[in-house]
Amino acid sequence: MTDTETSSQQVHGDGAASCLGSILALLLLRLWLGIRSLQEGVEKFAGMKATEEAVEIDGEVNEYGLVDTATEKVYGLSHFQSVPEGMYDRLLAEPLMPAFGLAIYDKLLGPLLIILGLTVLLGIALRFSLFAMGLVYTSLTFGLILLGQDAGIAWLGIHILLIVAALLHVRHNRFSVMKSF
Amino acid sequence: MEENPEKSNPISRRRFLRNGALAGAGLVFGAPSILGSTARNAPSDEIKVAFIGCGAQQQVLFSAMRNIPGIHYQAVCDIMPDRLGGAFGRIRATFGYNPNRYVDAEEMLSSETDLDAVIVATPDFWHARHTNWSLEAGRHVFCEKMMAHTIEDARSMVRTAESTGLFCQINHQRRSNPRYRYTRDQLIQNHRICGDIQNLNGQWNRSIGASQDIDVNPRIIPDQETLRTYGFADAHQFLNWRWYRDLSGGPISDLGAHQIDIFNWFLDDVPTSVVASGGRNYFRNREHYDNVMAIFEYDTPLHGPVRAFYQVLTGTSAGGGYYEAFMGTEGTVQISEQRQFTNIYRESGAPSWNSLVRRNLLRMVAASAPADTGDSVASYESPPLEKYDLPGVLAKPVHQPHLENFFDTLRGRATLNCDARTAFESEAPIFWVNPSAGKREYIQLSAEHLSVDGGLTAET
Repeated sequence: MTDTETSSQQVHGDGAASCLGSILALLLLRLWLGIRSLQEGVEKFAGMKATEEAVEIDGEVNEYGLVDTATEKVYGLSHFQSVPEGMYDRLLAEPLMPAFGLAIYDKLLGPLLIILGLTVLLGIALRFSLFAMGLVYTSLTFGLILLGQDAGIAWLGIHILLIVAALLHVRHNRFSVMKSF
Repeated sequence: MEENPEKSNPISRRRFLRNGALAGAGLVFGAPSILGSTARNAPSDEIKVAFIGCGAQQQVLFSAMRNIPGIHYQAVCDIMPDRLGGAFGRIRATFGYNPNRYVDAEEMLSSETDLDAVIVATPDFWHARHTNWSLEAGRHVFCEKMMAHTIEDARSMVRTAESTGLFCQINHQRRSNPRYRYTRDQLIQNHRICGDIQNLNGQWNRSIGASQDIDVNPRIIPDQETLRTYGFADAHQFLNWRWYRDLSGGPISDLGAHQIDIFNWFLDDVPTSVVASGGRNYFRNREHYDNVMAIFEYDTPLHGPVRAFYQVLTGTSAGGGYYEAFMGTEGTVQISEQRQFTNIYRESGAPSWNSLVRRNLLRMVAASAPADTGDSVASYESPPLEKYDLPGVLAKPVHQPHLENFFDTLRGRATLNCDARTAFESEAPIFWVNPSAGKREYIQLSAEHLSVDGGLTAET
């Protein structure tokens, strides 16, 4: 085997290894971003359910009205709230935040995060899905800028960097339901 | 629920009440136990109420009342348009109808002819007038504590309630709190877990930050003429009436009234003496003392002599918040509206409480911890205590049970837990704390100091 042949095989081997690395990198990014978005959307339907039970003394329900209380986390449509109440009121007070836009956003954000989480996880129209996800996080960043929450802005900035990294590796996309976009 | 006499009888309920009350005044006066058990003016299922006073305390009460079915909020009254609008808005937002709005309480009482009850949540120096006017107009009354800023005004409320035969509940809300009722009835009186109670210790320590003056946008304060008409010299008095001697009893009355009431209620007794010390230590421009310490002495039938120390401090929130502690030879019950400040301890030499735990009368929190030998001298140290907790909690706003008791009484289903006479007998010693501190004087309390018919009046 000549030196040239050896070198060519090495390059080919390095390229294959590099390609595999990029495939795995993108897969990890899809998993992280997808789960992050999906679960964040699901959490918009979460709430706390309080239960109370009359205390028994000497085996009988006490006559004073003493109760044991417990709270548990539950999910349901009745608990749906995209923008937390306190934050909603503060955003509403911002002159640059149109009330009707906030109301629409409050309705759409949760379902949007679930849909985009699923499409990124399954690799459906990955480029568009990632781009749309980036727009959602940018819109969230706008709200946090209005409220002056710098830590949250930085946190969302990390999400954007991860989305950009995923977009740069999207040609290595494998294990997808629909690759065309 | 009792039938509404107005619906079944051509003689109106209120006419019947007025005639009947006048005719029966001699019998009723001096027979409060009869009053406590008979709904003489029971309203229909839906109780029509009005608020006099729509400030912060009205919001607290409404937040509890909104959970109680069968109440129609017919009218709201306040001299401050902003507060009036706020109360109106809360009722409309919650129930979808509009209450009538009034600035003047007398006008409201004369215009609203079918009210059943009035909730009085005005500054202390207005309580007696608003309560007496309401009772005289044939309305039952739920009035905030302290009953009044002077003992003579408080006496007048008892007399009016008893002469009209109407219900007048004073908002010592702990008296309806299941945790307090259970602790008093079962733990202290029935099972006597404290043994002989010899000392009480109570406090309400509030931070400087939480004791600051109230200030609002001057544009929403009533004009000067209105303020003067209603007894306020200026806007500062209107917003901060609690600091003025002519308008309030100060922190010992404002905060201490709740807890000294618990001393008296749990002991089923009133003190025989009081000695107090107070000062303006941080808020030096205020008329009332910002820090007060008082010692009451009791001679109880059940426990013998008992000493009670109570302090209200507005310069610090340290020291474990607010609570009332009943310290006996076998155990101590420290109870508070807040569960975090409620602790029950068994003395190491006391009989075991295991059977109480098995029956779920108490819950054990922690076994006694070993003594710390690092920085203590073992021979001087008391053995460690076992810690327990109540077997349950109150899962409602703290004022709700007391309001429920009031409305249940109006419907003939209950008796008042704190009628005007009961409240007066418990509050009367509090009126003598400021005079004791002011004159640096030990005051021996007698019937002249403490009874409704007593002749002595205290300076605020």
